[in-house]
Amino acid sequence: MKATYLTQFIMNACSLFAVWLVLSGRYDLPHVMIGGIVACGVAWLNTRLQCSSVHHFSLGRLLIYAPWLLGRIVASSLHITKVILSPSLPIAPKMIHYQMHLKPELAIVLLGNSITLTPGTITVEVEGDHLLVHALDEASCEDLTSGRMERRMAGVFKEEASP
Amino acid sequence: MDILAVVLIVIGLFFLTVGAIGMLRLPDVFTRSHAVSLTDSLGAFCLLMGLALYQGVGINMLKILVVLALLFLLNPVIAHATIRAAYRVGVKPKAEEHP
Repeated sequence: MKATYLTQFIMNACSLFAVWLVLSGRYDLPHVMIGGIVACGVAWLNTRLQCSSVHHFSLGRLLIYAPWLLGRIVASSLHITKVILSPSLPIAPKMIHYQMHLKPELAIVLLGNSITLTPGTITVEVEGDHLLVHALDEASCEDLTSGRMERRMAGVFKEEASP
Repeated sequence: MDILAVVLIVIGLFFLTVGAIGMLRLPDVFTRSHAVSLTDSLGAFCLLMGLALYQGVGINMLKILVVLALLFLLNPVIAHATIRAAYRVGVKPKAEEHP
């Protein structure tokens, strides 16, 4: 599916208009009309013809990934809570250089986002396919260093990550 | 339903409190960011889910869910920007390097 300027523009305008409808909460003619005009204007200012790496992406697989990520967030949150509340404060912070095998830019963005969203690990720097990650201790970075998180993300994009 | 909402809100507040304690106890900016991400992700998630349930199905619930989605997209971006800025200006993390 090649994204042309027109489909891109229409998608942008529609999503902005949906946000307007949800946030304004008034459905009389003047408000809806103002919303439509503003949505088209903002979409016109912002649409560029460059997002073409979206075609591997499947929303259904992302809906499988999201609950798994939420489970990981809960697990590592409990772990971090235990670390913070224990009197001896058993932290062992470290920097991890991680080599990715993911190709699509969107996948790299989502992986970095997931790493930062999970308590205990944070993405410090992204350069090409090289990630610099700061972790609070050994247990919190295990998902990443074992490659589990990247394999899951690769599953969203229907690509095989070589180990 | 109200009881579930209150339970969720209390859990969210618990994680916010733990995040604040971690903010005070942890030594440097990198480790502190982990405490903040605790409040960002699970704390805010539980709190907003509780509020959404408390409001009941309707336009307000939809608004809260939109806020939640935006929070999950934008919070990591902000945390990453802060940490990368700290790293680039040369704040040294108390950390061992791993390949």
